[in-house]
Amino acid sequence: MENIQLLLQGFETALTFQNVGAALLGAILGLIVGAMPGIGSLAGVALLLPLTYKFNPTTAIIMLGALYYSNMYGGSFSAILLNIPGDSPAVVTAIDGYPMAKKKKRPGQALFTANMSSFIGGTIGICILTFTGPALANLGLKFGPSEMTALLLIAMTSISWLVGENPTKGVIITVVGILLASMGMDTLSGAPRYDFGNMHLLGGIPFTPFVIGAVGFSQVIKLINDRTKDNGASNSDMKLTIRGSLLTKHDFRRLLPPAIRSGFLGTFVGVLPGAGATTGSFLGYAVQKKMHSEEELGTGAIEGIASCEAANNAAAAGAFAPLLALGIPGSGTGAVLLGGLMMWGLNPGPLLFTNEPDFTWGLIASLFLSNILTLIIALAVIPFLLKILSVPVKYMIPIITVVCVVGSYSSSYSMYGVLIMFLSGLLGYFLSKNDYPTAPMLLSFVLAPLLETNMRKAFIISGGSLNIFFNRPITCVLMVVFFAVVATPIIKSMINKNKNKKTEGTN
Amino acid sequence: MKKKVALVLAGIMAFATVVTGCGSKAASDGTFTPEDTINWTVTSSPGGGSDIYTRMIADVMTKEGMTDETIVVSNKTDGSGEIGRNEVANTKGQKADYTLLTFNSGDLMPMVLNTKNRSANFKIIAIMAVDKQLIFKGTQTPYVDFAEAIEAAKNGTPVVIGGSKGDDIATYEAMIEEIGVTQDQMKYITYDSTGDAITAALGGHVEFVISKPAAASEYVEAGSLFPVLALSTERYTGNLASAPTLSEVGDYENVEVPIWRGVAAPAAMSDAAVAYYTEQLKKVSESEQWKTEYIEKNKLIPNYLGAAEATTFVTEYEKEYMEANGIQ
Repeated sequence: MENIQLLLQGFETALTFQNVGAALLGAILGLIVGAMPGIGSLAGVALLLPLTYKFNPTTAIIMLGALYYSNMYGGSFSAILLNIPGDSPAVVTAIDGYPMAKKKKRPGQALFTANMSSFIGGTIGICILTFTGPALANLGLKFGPSEMTALLLIAMTSISWLVGENPTKGVIITVVGILLASMGMDTLSGAPRYDFGNMHLLGGIPFTPFVIGAVGFSQVIKLINDRTKDNGASNSDMKLTIRGSLLTKHDFRRLLPPAIRSGFLGTFVGVLPGAGATTGSFLGYAVQKKMHSEEELGTGAIEGIASCEAANNAAAAGAFAPLLALGIPGSGTGAVLLGGLMMWGLNPGPLLFTNEPDFTWGLIASLFLSNILTLIIALAVIPFLLKILSVPVKYMIPIITVVCVVGSYSSSYSMYGVLIMFLSGLLGYFLSKNDYPTAPMLLSFVLAPLLETNMRKAFIISGGSLNIFFNRPITCVLMVVFFAVVATPIIKSMINKNKNKKTEGTN
Repeated sequence: MKKKVALVLAGIMAFATVVTGCGSKAASDGTFTPEDTINWTVTSSPGGGSDIYTRMIADVMTKEGMTDETIVVSNKTDGSGEIGRNEVANTKGQKADYTLLTFNSGDLMPMVLNTKNRSANFKIIAIMAVDKQLIFKGTQTPYVDFAEAIEAAKNGTPVVIGGSKGDDIATYEAMIEEIGVTQDQMKYITYDSTGDAITAALGGHVEFVISKPAAASEYVEAGSLFPVLALSTERYTGNLASAPTLSEVGDYENVEVPIWRGVAAPAAMSDAAVAYYTEQLKKVSESEQWKTEYIEKNKLIPNYLGAAEATTFVTEYEKEYMEANGIQ
């Protein structure tokens, strides 16, 4: 009950005129920044941070918190409408969001689904943060290298259902993703890998330009090619009003279970050190794959959008637990916020909750506030966003190209990013032209480096012994889950074969 | 609200001025005063130790009225920072007088190790401060003190130490060499940042963590980390005073690998400009704000070296590092 009292005091802080204004400004900026591919929350927070040094710390973090938070909403917009993920967690959103908008001609509902599930996931995340904050952070600490390895192995299994109809092509493309990710400085030994003596390659291939290119710019090349074929596939039959974007009761019923499940899952992943929102959304999607969905995932299913959007917003809330309770940033954005805390004269760390209750609870209260504010704004802008779809292809091509160039430039402020974007755009185009799926490549690109460092750390600790994966309770449970996930299809097919034999026998 | 909008607008205007730039005139009497925006490159991410260090200097310079020009700090992390360092090294002409680079021992080590760029390609303007490390244990560590851990390592039970990249590894290597154990007996796990390494120590995944005082201080205060060894020639003060130096732990020499924080500029910077910046940084190092809000807060050792001394120091440091790692 003490927490509720503190939270109410927090609301007192957060609901002052100045702080609500700060949250509103943060939410609007966050939506804009999030909707622009390449300028993720990291860049948004980093750009605004210096401006806030003169604010009082509570107002400053409320604004940045709101910005960080609404960013997670914004990322899905371009993923759904243009198939260009605004930030890395939105890669998963695009898998179902874009088909739903394009093939099913329900872009409004797709956006509505993304916003609603973001809200549900976020609310669950913040509630868990409120009641278990420090305890949650301590649970996250239990996850060392071996636990993370096991968890990432489970996440990696989701590749198997992204590969599509041709498993060989899927495996090839997964390996390409892993190889590309292994370029650059080896994080454990500091040795350069595959840098070919090039200084740029020493830092590896930056993720954001790579995704923008492989998913977004390859789209542009495709549009240019298709334009000559069908000219004037108009979108005029789509409902472009907010009323036309409302979800039916049935849709809502489909959205709810995955959103709630992913809310819990996502919060938990967000708390783990170094896992972040991207892993959260992949895991949420992976779990949904194991559950029943009305339509097949990947064809524009509401369940698909709901499961990953809820997970990534919940993860964003969960990431605040270690940041506030222990002073440990769960993500790049968290690290920037942490730097901010120091500049404002606060000492982030285990004593923050005790020494600065006004600040921490004010921030948590403002998360509730900005979550609601962002939902309202996000729903209100749907009709305007949908106008994008009625823009003719001949205008869309240069516009998307500009967005891709700006996005890839601003993620690292260098032309190297733009070059990577163009190259991966070509790569993405040829891959999809030859029926290679790009999603497994992106997934392995994100997860493989995490898996590698954690696994190698685990082996350093155990002296090369595999025992470390089985004699620690959490790791062991996760490994059992992993083997179960891998073994289920094999056992299933064996049972099916047996059944077939039996039926053949009786015949 | 209005105030904030005004602030944002002011920010945009400042940005616009930076982008359009203003022409600058060369000084005629041999002394240098900046008449254009000063571009300061930091080769690590915003919010980290180097970033805070740089922004603090820029803040002091502006507040104390040392310059009327805007100082723009930009974070260039491409190619693990090598791109940014290379850019600064190759800046020529008038622009060279307006370009500064944050240059620390942690920047020099990977640069020398992985690229052909050397400190000779820069003008070293100053060294501002020196930092050292300590070893801390977590609550789940089975050893009472570091002497016990050394004993265990020598008897075949591997001891795991976590830490960050660059200078932490250099200190660790110097330490195990002095103790006389191998990298298998006393293992080192490299984390992306000291924060990550501390997280691992709090969770009991590594037994000890190597860290500078600033990053660990809060955890010592909260009782979740305990200082067990000072990698310094003398003990620290305050809440870190309980940590003995290596010579107190056993029959060893003290190990100390000073980590310096400096400022560099392109080799093409004019001597007048070097003299100007060295002088300004000296004033920064003597200012009250710098002493209380940076040095004391982060438990650093103030150690200002001017251009000439700093250049000698860095050259010597680089030479020793290259010899130790067999780089030609």
